[in-house]
Amino acid sequence: MATLVSTPAPRQQGEKRRDDEKRASEAPRVLRVFRATPFTYATLIVVSAILSTPLVFAVSIALSSDHTVTTNTFTIFPHEFQWENFTKVFGTDLPMGRFLVNSLVISVGSVIGQMVSSGLVGYAFARLRAPGKNVMFLIVIATMMIPTQITMIPQFILFKDLGWVNTYWPLIVPNFFSNAFNVFLVRQFVSRLPGELDEAAMVDGLGFFGIYRRIMLPMLWPVLIAIGIFTLTYTWGDFMGPLIYLNDESKMPLALGVQYITTTAVAGQPPPWNLVMVGSILLTLPMIAVYYLGQRYLYEMDISGGSAGVK
Amino acid sequence: MAMSRMRRREALWFYLFVSPWVIGFLAFLLGPMISSIYLSMTDWDSFTPPEWVGLDNYVKLLTEDPVFWKALGNTFHYAAVSVPLGLLVGLWLANLLNKQVRGRKLFRTLVYLPTLVPLVAASLAFRVVLAPSGPFNDVLGWVGISGPQWLLDPSWVKYALILLSVWSAGSATVLLLAAMKGIPRELYEAAEIDGAGPVRQFWSITVPQLTPVIFFNLVMGLIAAFQVFSQVYILTPKASQPGTYNASQTTVPYLFDQAFSYYHMGYASAISWLLFAVILVFTLLAFRTTRRWVFYETEVK
Repeated sequence: MATLVSTPAPRQQGEKRRDDEKRASEAPRVLRVFRATPFTYATLIVVSAILSTPLVFAVSIALSSDHTVTTNTFTIFPHEFQWENFTKVFGTDLPMGRFLVNSLVISVGSVIGQMVSSGLVGYAFARLRAPGKNVMFLIVIATMMIPTQITMIPQFILFKDLGWVNTYWPLIVPNFFSNAFNVFLVRQFVSRLPGELDEAAMVDGLGFFGIYRRIMLPMLWPVLIAIGIFTLTYTWGDFMGPLIYLNDESKMPLALGVQYITTTAVAGQPPPWNLVMVGSILLTLPMIAVYYLGQRYLYEMDISGGSAGVK
Repeated sequence: MAMSRMRRREALWFYLFVSPWVIGFLAFLLGPMISSIYLSMTDWDSFTPPEWVGLDNYVKLLTEDPVFWKALGNTFHYAAVSVPLGLLVGLWLANLLNKQVRGRKLFRTLVYLPTLVPLVAASLAFRVVLAPSGPFNDVLGWVGISGPQWLLDPSWVKYALILLSVWSAGSATVLLLAAMKGIPRELYEAAEIDGAGPVRQFWSITVPQLTPVIFFNLVMGLIAAFQVFSQVYILTPKASQPGTYNASQTTVPYLFDQAFSYYHMGYASAISWLLFAVILVFTLLAFRTTRRWVFYETEVK
């Protein structure tokens, strides 16, 4: 069983292939633990089916007629295809378009705020030297342990005194002051970048802000995009923040708006479940799109997968 | 020690660059924290001046408020079942997906898809899925079980929340799957030669190798579960519906109600500090016990 002993020296491609062939003839190519049995397939199919059911059912409801809603005769698989539900929600009786615009405004504002502020702060913690820096960074780390519920009430009072209740500001503005986790991410990312470039730029007489803008920023995009994705995902789906600060229907983001629709049904009538599900789908689709477009950056950052322990 | 002009300039830029964090820390964290400690010792409706009551709020919460204890108990119950269950399901699915399965990408996508659905959308979907005549009870009906009124029956609401949480076990699955890919193949080869079967190899190689990831997800999952809010708010009956209220109440929704429905700002602040204490105790406890069961590779070297 000599093939099992790994050779530390780098080997030629051909040599490796011959090795693999030898291994294939001696031992089964796929180890027993990794062999899929019919039972494996059966389990995966059943589990996938169960996990997909709520999604299929949501689509089925979204495509149902109002009659099906009032008589509560939904089916798991769609039997009607009322595609006009998807245009109806943008009509005059439902402010879904308004909800979407609100979500976009809040999310884009928050994403820009986090990308701008966390980039600057994280860079400074990684590269610049100043008295008190290490203590400050310890505080950054420590703040990650404070649950948001502690600050929720005083923050509400603060924003109420500023007259910001029922505006987007309480949901957007705090993002312009960075957040501990994002600062940590940027700092780790910058620490791994070679220092020669900014040293050379310094010798050339470029100031610290110039170094950040011209040298650092172009290299920071992967981590900034990752921060953008995290912030977007959080803000887009946030329910408690809007619930605290926004009570005017025309200001609500989609995540709060769809839930709000279910509470406004006429007494004795079920909520317009078909339109609520259309709203839920509109809430979900951007997240799926962002995930597939952003996957590459997240893997580049090595934070979505293996090194989760670093978080 | 005098700093050179260059170093002073660098320090100045540092303070300028981190000023957003410093301002945010003072205005949105430290300031509110101090004010929250003070508020938790007052009786305050947010309109009239706060009235100092000392530790009364805490005493009342811990000794005279059965709803708080019920809410805390429910939160514990929810966290203690949903987090380990989610990890077990995640481990089980990751182990299946780690095999040489045809269409692995498709299966992985289907398992991961639920975690991409925003919590609000997922909760709303579960309101119809778990309706008395919804598809979940339909499926239970096929195997001869008559399903309960998940969202109306006080004793079943918690399990509805747990079901929703396990539905998105995909995030744990993907993390554990990534970690499984990093387990050295030699370990399995050696075990196979020694005649260990797949089940034995799973428990003796896969699980011990994954304990750091499992542990990390356990701690983070518990912290998140203690703060469960949106799903409770959307899925469970409201305070106005008598009889069902306490059955599904959990800590953060109770805090939210006290603060923003009844304007008991001082009382709610006290709840938030007790919640923090609980989270802190559990985090420390988890870290204290790690050495007993978490396997770090460096220990062998």
